[in-house]
Amino acid sequence: MLVFIAKRLLWMIPSLFAVSFLAFVLIQLPPGDYVTTYIATLAASNEVIDQNTAAQLRERFGLDDPMLVQYFKWIWGIVSRGDFGISFEWQQPVSGLIWERIALTLVLALSTLIATWAIALPIGVFSAVRKYSIGDYFFTAFTFLGLAIPSFLLALVLMYIAAVEFGQDVGGLFSSEFETAPWSFAKILDLFSHIWLPVIILAVSSTASLIRVMRANMLDELPKPYVTTARAKGLSEFRLLVKYPLRIALNPFISTIAWLLPNLISGSVVVAIVLNLPTAAPLLLQALMAQDMYLAGAFVLLICALTLIGSLISDILLALVDPRIRLE
Amino acid sequence: MRDEILSRGVTRRAVLGGMAGVAALSIAGRVAAAGGEAPALAQLAKDGKLPPLAERLPKKPMVVTPLEKVGTYGGTLRRGLRGSSDHNGILRMVGNQSLVRWNLEFTQVVPNLAERWEINDDASQFTFHLIEGVRWSDGHPFTADDIVFAIEDCVKNSELYSSTPAQLSVAGKAVNVEKIDDFTVKFTFAAANALYLENLATPLGQHPTLFPKHYCSQFLPKYNPNIAEDVTKAGAGSWTDLFRARCGDIEIPSRWGNPAKPTLDPWVVKEPYSGGATRVVMTRNPYFWQVDTQGNQLPYVDEINFSISQDVESLMLNVISGKIDIQERHISVLSNKPTLSQNMDKGDYRLLSLVPSASQQCQIYFNMTHKDPALRKMFVDKSFRQALSLGINRLELIDIVYFGQSEGYQAGPRPEHPWYHDKLARQFTEYDPDKAGAMLDQAGYDKKDGNGFRLRPDGQKVFFTVDVIPTLYPDLVDALELVKAHWAQIGIDMKVNTIERALYYTRGDDNAHDAAVWPGPGGLDPMLDPRDFFAFHPQGSRYAIPWSLWYTSNGARGEEPPESQKTRMKLFDGARSTADLDKRGAIMKQIFDIAADEFETVGLCLAVGGFGIIRNNLRNVPEKQPDSWSWPNPGPALPQQFSFTS
Repeated sequence: MLVFIAKRLLWMIPSLFAVSFLAFVLIQLPPGDYVTTYIATLAASNEVIDQNTAAQLRERFGLDDPMLVQYFKWIWGIVSRGDFGISFEWQQPVSGLIWERIALTLVLALSTLIATWAIALPIGVFSAVRKYSIGDYFFTAFTFLGLAIPSFLLALVLMYIAAVEFGQDVGGLFSSEFETAPWSFAKILDLFSHIWLPVIILAVSSTASLIRVMRANMLDELPKPYVTTARAKGLSEFRLLVKYPLRIALNPFISTIAWLLPNLISGSVVVAIVLNLPTAAPLLLQALMAQDMYLAGAFVLLICALTLIGSLISDILLALVDPRIRLE
Repeated sequence: MRDEILSRGVTRRAVLGGMAGVAALSIAGRVAAAGGEAPALAQLAKDGKLPPLAERLPKKPMVVTPLEKVGTYGGTLRRGLRGSSDHNGILRMVGNQSLVRWNLEFTQVVPNLAERWEINDDASQFTFHLIEGVRWSDGHPFTADDIVFAIEDCVKNSELYSSTPAQLSVAGKAVNVEKIDDFTVKFTFAAANALYLENLATPLGQHPTLFPKHYCSQFLPKYNPNIAEDVTKAGAGSWTDLFRARCGDIEIPSRWGNPAKPTLDPWVVKEPYSGGATRVVMTRNPYFWQVDTQGNQLPYVDEINFSISQDVESLMLNVISGKIDIQERHISVLSNKPTLSQNMDKGDYRLLSLVPSASQQCQIYFNMTHKDPALRKMFVDKSFRQALSLGINRLELIDIVYFGQSEGYQAGPRPEHPWYHDKLARQFTEYDPDKAGAMLDQAGYDKKDGNGFRLRPDGQKVFFTVDVIPTLYPDLVDALELVKAHWAQIGIDMKVNTIERALYYTRGDDNAHDAAVWPGPGGLDPMLDPRDFFAFHPQGSRYAIPWSLWYTSNGARGEEPPESQKTRMKLFDGARSTADLDKRGAIMKQIFDIAADEFETVGLCLAVGGFGIIRNNLRNVPEKQPDSWSWPNPGPALPQQFSFTS
């Protein structure tokens, strides 16, 4: 097992390089560069930028270099000194901008994951065991509704009700007194008093599909002979469910952990923007729009790293949970 | 309304003969001997943590007459920003402290940090007399040295600014600034620069008062021999990066990212505008140099809280639920008006109306310097452009897209402007498809294909694309879709090319567009942005970017324009160096006459005013303001005298 993990970790290094290069190329693909965007912003307010200034800006940001040179300068900074470069737009080191955002994103993603599973697993098992019961139909109908409503719309409606009908503060993850306060226990409590709204909004859409997956898997497993055998041996219905078919049925859940992180980050972009959440998504979107490539590149790189870590975790978990999976 | 504002006056002032220059007379005339100050500051002064008010204010502080009445101290003013690149949202509210400023009506330049000035006869030398005893927000005196430092050491430093900003150079030479005494500076230009005062009143005129010498000099190699060490310590790429990060510039986010940088603004940064910030908080400047008519130190409002919304809809929610005190930026589009009006009671606010300074809501620029000779020939043909203008049903368009709130218009100063030019503004705005068809036949586009679209003499279909940025101006896309339908009726095929903002500019820079749209400026500020009257703006005059490059580079780049353009360029250079307003107006009329004859751009309708909101308990706010970058609303309405009623 340890050898397996070590091998996987080693493989992550070239994967990360490949991914970071691809990300860099993709960010550079749209026409123009940060200076074009900057000039566009200035020109929108009627300022004339002369060509000298533009050329000087390009030189200052190193945009005149060929892309490969820019890439290697950037990646060498990361590898040799953990320096992710300077954000063009903010004139701040990128590393100062991303860590808190990534941390909050992870908190949101994990909370959503837990909420989704907490809702989807029991309902999935229930509707498989009580197939075609009123409860099954009720939950199924309800979750399809959740799947059908776009999450940004749900966010807007909930915000409207909260703001206009109840006069609540909406948006953000903190009360104003904690927004810029250093981390403390009180701040964490404040975070959790705000995070439930985005968590529910994000969980609603992914719950429906997970319930279907769980239900289908359980239905596959339930008629199998080992279940009948276990039941014949007098195992209680609950223990029987949890001990055998559920473990097998969990397989797809665990194997998709790797995708969940990027999915939650990209899937939550619109919701995060509507709800004004200080997570990675809005900043990444802004950076992409402004062609602030070091900032955008750092985000993409980190999200990719998280995906790789996630897939490692899901492989390890799979090996632990599913007795059919072996390394050899 | 106009007279009312005028009689209230922003400061006591008198007009000096001839020039647009205005000097304040005895600005300290009505100051009470002992003025008031904010309770929190009074407490600090009492505790000895701050010098007493008399030592913080100039001997003769600038007196601001509150718009309605003398206000009371206190309160936090709440306003919204967008997530990215919205630094000018702060500038407009707070950073309006130049040597001079605009009056409320956007017609005159009035004293600000300079209490008076002299201009020589040919408008090449400007001598400014500063208010004595003004202090930076850290208590350090503001003197002529700061201005000389800002221009000579910073702006003219070729490592920091590879070329001197356009405002500060004439005939390719940078201005020369010298200190006469501690409170007098002289600006000398290489040639006449009659518009300098007006330019100085715009946001881009803030350079002279932007860089405090005692603070910013530590980031210049000239003053700091250890600069290399500091650069490494700060993790910056070079000293210029460090300078920009610490001292900012007029229009970059880092101007609002350093709470340590002293300023002359009414409020100073407390929680900075940085990447990932969710709000920006500014707190009162204890050394602010303006007082009200009773001698009370301004500003009245303790703090400004800019919340950062990523999304306009959530900003709208905040507005209608009463969580914003004054806002027009981002929410000012016409389509928001019904929502804003419906929720006036719920949100406890009143409406603010914006007088557009722009001329045209949607100007269509056919690329008359197109790389494809056939298209170029078509667009250069004046009767082709005139026919297309006649083929637009402007009444329908205004009804549908602009709720009936506009009128057909081509270009030029707005009807209320003294330089209004009827022919330039109104010609070819009637809807006459028959005449348009006849003109197109005449111009050689008389054959049609099976779908009824006209063919060019070379047999190709008459077809072109019009570039538009949907995220920036969604209404222009709607307008263009209607124009497309109108043009189809006279046999012209057009494609509405919705593209992303950077691509729009790249295509313009490469001269790769067939046609493009943009709101046309120059309605109230024809001198500051004449891009629609001749090829003036290398990014904005999209009907002939190579011509404007030729103009701005003195013939070094671009493409030589036709005679009529060159005449206008010369005339405009003349207007720019003419101090006398009447003479300047006469020159501009000549330009307008030629522009009207040439008919280079096709306009749809007069720019429509926007809207904003003011909470009912926020007073001293003019309910009608110009909406312009040159008059960076609401800044010139002096937010420091806004006040909350209890």
